[in-house]
Amino acid sequence: MNLRAVMIIAFKEIVDNLRDRQTVFYALLFGPILLPLMLGGSLAATFKQLSIDFDRVTELAVHGAERAPSLIAFLAGQNVDAVPAPGDPEQTVRRGEVPIVMQIDERYGEALRTARPAVITIHLDEADKGSVKAARRIEALLNAWERTNDQLRLQHRGLDPTVFDSLDIVSNDVSTEGASGQLLASLLPFLLIVSMVMGGFYLAIDTTAGERERHSLEPLLGLPLARQEIVLGKFGATLAFVSLSGLLCAVSVWALFRLFPADLLGTRLRFDAPTVAGALLLALPLMPFIASLLITVSAWTRSTKQAQTYLGLLMVLPMAPFFVLQYLDPGDSLWLMPWPMLGQYLLLERSVLDLPLSVTAVIASIAGTLIASALLLWLACRLYRQERILS
Amino acid sequence: MIIAEGLAKSFASPGGGRRAAPVHAVRDVSFEAADGHVTGLLGANGAGKSTTLRMLATLIRPDAGYACIDGHDVVDDVLDARRQLGYMPHEAGIYPRLSARENVHYYARLSGLSGRDAGHRTGELVEQLDMVGFADRRAAGFSQGQKTKVALARALVHAPRTLMLDEPTNGLDVMATRGLREILRTLAARGHCVLFSSHVMQEVAVLCDRIAIIADGRIAISDTLPGLLERTDRHDLEDAFVVALGHDVEPRPAGTNATP
Repeated sequence: MNLRAVMIIAFKEIVDNLRDRQTVFYALLFGPILLPLMLGGSLAATFKQLSIDFDRVTELAVHGAERAPSLIAFLAGQNVDAVPAPGDPEQTVRRGEVPIVMQIDERYGEALRTARPAVITIHLDEADKGSVKAARRIEALLNAWERTNDQLRLQHRGLDPTVFDSLDIVSNDVSTEGASGQLLASLLPFLLIVSMVMGGFYLAIDTTAGERERHSLEPLLGLPLARQEIVLGKFGATLAFVSLSGLLCAVSVWALFRLFPADLLGTRLRFDAPTVAGALLLALPLMPFIASLLITVSAWTRSTKQAQTYLGLLMVLPMAPFFVLQYLDPGDSLWLMPWPMLGQYLLLERSVLDLPLSVTAVIASIAGTLIASALLLWLACRLYRQERILS
Repeated sequence: MIIAEGLAKSFASPGGGRRAAPVHAVRDVSFEAADGHVTGLLGANGAGKSTTLRMLATLIRPDAGYACIDGHDVVDDVLDARRQLGYMPHEAGIYPRLSARENVHYYARLSGLSGRDAGHRTGELVEQLDMVGFADRRAAGFSQGQKTKVALARALVHAPRTLMLDEPTNGLDVMATRGLREILRTLAARGHCVLFSSHVMQEVAVLCDRIAIIADGRIAISDTLPGLLERTDRHDLEDAFVVALGHDVEPRPAGTNATP
């Protein structure tokens, strides 16, 4: 094996492809930056919209605030400052002038004094996410206020408030992070794998199917080189792009999740630097696997167009575990570990969820993926030894 | 020095199933190309020229027969045969995003030259083949003549004793063709063995010391130009070619349209 020739070929393919805008766009921009931003960004935005920050001081338009001074004082204590509602409550909400209006009934004080239910109306616009969110916050606060009032009324009449709690329902969620945590956790392997595949995609096609199409393969094969040296050179260049894409993607995922509010990620969901670095380490064997898969499939096709079609179909592969695992809970099954991509999905998910990783599972995953890579490379060398490669 | 004896090669019929009859691209090719000479492999399109050259270039294995480049068997001693050989295929096949110089340099390095030697040798060829004007431009917009020069420089970069070119003048204008002819003559004069294939009679007649006429996968006749004319009893190569293929030629008065 002439390693020098392998390096020369790899270096030439890297330089050559760095001059190709399409390859550079997908390797350095799309997978590593645009994809995490699009997916992670939209997820972060959704979470931000759904979550309520009770510490944030907001203003609440109140109609008839003077009728409920103690409630207004309670709300002020909860960072909600009442301001007079401008005009007709319903109209102002409908026109979007204020997100919600809290209307205090004229007989509010009287109802409280006579121990009857006092009416408070919340005017909101269900079609407006901001309005719904504001209403949820106020309703939560009003519920708290109501509970305190109820207890006071009962105690006033010499009754134990717990008399009215015939059931105490305790919901014990044994999952660490619940459904949304699981989804967020699988985002890291998904982004990493898709980014790595996209990173090597065009380079692999250009150096194999593209080389055949340009007719530059024939003179290359006529050089005093063994075919496996040529294959390894192209593999090396693809591996470099795949690895670079993976690394950049890990960095941008780490940066992106720093923007997520900490309480959203829960107590155990981790996207800090050591976790992301660890995940990248676990995904390391995937780099040669993806590079050899791309090389072999595009060496097998007859044109760049065919290669793009086949590899395009193959792009479903890195996404398959993402979707399958949403429905299936395979648990700790060791037999899933050696499968390239699937094993890494499970391992990365666990590491993001801060769950312990078994050494056997990690070894099974590394071994399975590396064996698959070696098989694919062997297949690519075989393809390059066939005369069909020139036709 | 190239020696070919009884080379044969057939391919599966394209688009045909396994039962389809194979296509016999080359049936029986024997000839010699000596050092210090330009040898022409003359034949119509589809006669088997490219398949013959590909077998000699060790790119495909002959089904039968024997061939060697400077004594190195093209089947058993592949790497050594390739080291003696500069091969320029039918299509130039240069890398469009690399400059002419980078294209040549890449092959120099792959042929085993050190970085320094490769740079030196590339510079030499750029001068020799008159490529200075476009050597550092990317190859994407090159003319056919420029591409051919780059491909030729690439084939010559490891200073091979034997040079093989598959229809190198295709798509070249008159001046570029003359330039190429000059280069090949110089190489032969320096003792290289030059084998080139063509379907253009005039070109072969002007340039080649020896001519092997190939038809339907067989060498019909192989000799010097005067030898060919004498053996076929004709006055120009075109007629000799037709006769060699076993066809009748319209009678023509002697002395007209003779090949120079």
